[in-house]
Amino acid sequence: MKESNMTRADFVTSIILIAFGVAVLIMSLHMPTFAARGVNPYSAPGIVPGFLGALIALLGLVLFIRSVGRKGYRLGINGRTVKEFFTAQQTLRLTITIVISVLYALVLLGRVPYPIATGIYVLAFILLFEYKWKSPARSQWKTLLFAVIVAVSTAVLVTAVFQYLFLVSLPG
Amino acid sequence: MLEGLHYFAEGLIGFLNFKTLFNVLWATQLGIIVGMLPGLTATMGVALMTTLTFKLDASNAVLILVCMYIGAIYGGSRSAILLNIPGTPANAATAVDGHPLAKQGRAGRAIGIATTGSFIGSFIGMIMLALFTPLIGAFALKFESFEYTWLAIFGIIISGNLTAPKDPLKGWISGFLGLFVAMIGMESIHAFVRFSFGTVGLSGGVALIPAMVGAFGFAEIISVMRHPKFEVVNTKIERVIPSFRDIRVHLKTIVRSGIVGTFIGAVPGVGEDVAAWVSYDMARRSSKDGDKFGTGVVEGLIAAETGNNACVAGAMIPVLSLAIPGSAPAAVLLAAMLIHGVRPGPLIMVEFPDFVFKVVAMVLLASVAMLILGLSLVRLLVKVLLVPRTKLMPIIFTLCVVGSFAIQSRFFDIGVMVIFGVLGFYLREMEYPMAPLVLGIILGGILDQNLRRALVLSDGSILPFFTRPISAVLFLIIAFTMVSRTRWFLRLKAQASNSVRSLLGRSRR
Repeated sequence: MKESNMTRADFVTSIILIAFGVAVLIMSLHMPTFAARGVNPYSAPGIVPGFLGALIALLGLVLFIRSVGRKGYRLGINGRTVKEFFTAQQTLRLTITIVISVLYALVLLGRVPYPIATGIYVLAFILLFEYKWKSPARSQWKTLLFAVIVAVSTAVLVTAVFQYLFLVSLPG
Repeated sequence: MLEGLHYFAEGLIGFLNFKTLFNVLWATQLGIIVGMLPGLTATMGVALMTTLTFKLDASNAVLILVCMYIGAIYGGSRSAILLNIPGTPANAATAVDGHPLAKQGRAGRAIGIATTGSFIGSFIGMIMLALFTPLIGAFALKFESFEYTWLAIFGIIISGNLTAPKDPLKGWISGFLGLFVAMIGMESIHAFVRFSFGTVGLSGGVALIPAMVGAFGFAEIISVMRHPKFEVVNTKIERVIPSFRDIRVHLKTIVRSGIVGTFIGAVPGVGEDVAAWVSYDMARRSSKDGDKFGTGVVEGLIAAETGNNACVAGAMIPVLSLAIPGSAPAAVLLAAMLIHGVRPGPLIMVEFPDFVFKVVAMVLLASVAMLILGLSLVRLLVKVLLVPRTKLMPIIFTLCVVGSFAIQSRFFDIGVMVIFGVLGFYLREMEYPMAPLVLGIILGGILDQNLRRALVLSDGSILPFFTRPISAVLFLIIAFTMVSRTRWFLRLKAQASNSVRSLLGRSRR
């Protein structure tokens, strides 16, 4: 990440960290001390999380001061930079990878039987990255064929090996 | 001492049957392939194997994991040399002199040297593992709650310091966030559920292996897919088996890298990548060809590969003697041991003394297998590197999902994996190291129990934390480590060295 982007990221992250640390501290203070049970107050559940929350907030504060010193608050968010960010090749690849993987892991699995879900995921993943939408489908039959082969064999092999050879339970 | 040798021999002979040796071979080979492929790290490999070996008995399971670990750390050197892309972060230093050697047409020689260096490093680490584990275990029996509290914090601080050398603050933040993650769920003294927000999933806590698979597996996949395609350099591979001369000439470098690598492995949370870089750097500074490093100097290559493999055995020293991982893959190894009912920690020398030396035997077997497999089938395995990542990454993600789900059969764990994957990716982009985060998740439980117990014992006084001898030493080391990175201290150091230099200069005249 570029240096200027890093200080901006640090600025935003430090604010999140401070907020997070303070939230944890407040939640820890609300935890019961079980005093009514006659238990030693120093064994209360809130002690260590409170200590950690305070420490995280403190470290966040140090980061905040440092990033302000390096002028990280100049976020430079305007229409142009946002558009540049969202149309960059890297962002696109990143988003596709995350979205499709999350859909598979959290939505498909559990609702669709495992081999089918896995096959769909692998097929979709390969096609999204390798299939050229502008070219006609007929010229890309090899890509399609290989994608299907890989998807089906992955689904079958993983299911067979894990379920029957290693006796491990599979999701869905 | 003799007892140890006895256990070692017993363990080794116990492993010398066809089925076990077959396991050693395929596990090490798979480890080499895992290490070779960018996108799969040693941590991921060991985590996935933990899942696969879930139903096996403890000894066999840990043996397979050790083989996978050693194979993977070595395997990354293959892609580092041939593609200039380290297969695992531990092999980044290998690429610096390994790839230029490949471009000069000496890829085979580079691979042979890397293999031999890795084997010798592993061997040195193994000897130190056998020697130091019982010693440290015996010493750690003196630890009480106060010392364990400091040890947990020390692990985070030093890990943060060494894995984020440019910015230790981020390493510490990473570590303390990890410690916090361990607080989620039911705490062990009053069975009170913390930070669950009413959900059943969070009440069970964040399991280590899904978090690691996410942070090291899914995050890596996202990272790999983000960048445009890389090119495979098609180099001819000639003779792979190294000449004796190469080894003899660099013997001092090899031994030094081995010892340094083991030592760095033994430091909690500081892993093979740091070990490789430090060994490489030390070799560069003390070599007469120092300024030629980076152009294909054999000494640099051998230092890096010896260092990172020695680190593997070194990382197992704290795992066995303190139940604190020396590196990220060692953290998974620790979790696996706990799953299989082996209890590492100071008591291991009392409860399972033979297990420690069985692990030493495992390291030996894995290293020999790595040497044999590494020097053979080289040309065949290079083909594996040609698999396009658009096909490989979804397959790896599938394995990530299975690996996260299999151990507790919870869909929540898959969610944990996904969240830690995305989080881990962005944290890494912002240069927050992952190792302290993972270390924090493991040490969090230790910190929680021991800090509270210590406070109960001292009745709220924090004085014993600073006055007990071992505690005082640990505190001073922590304080020194934190202070040594501030600008104030560095200025002081510069002034001091200047005055010393001028003093010496004057006295010499």
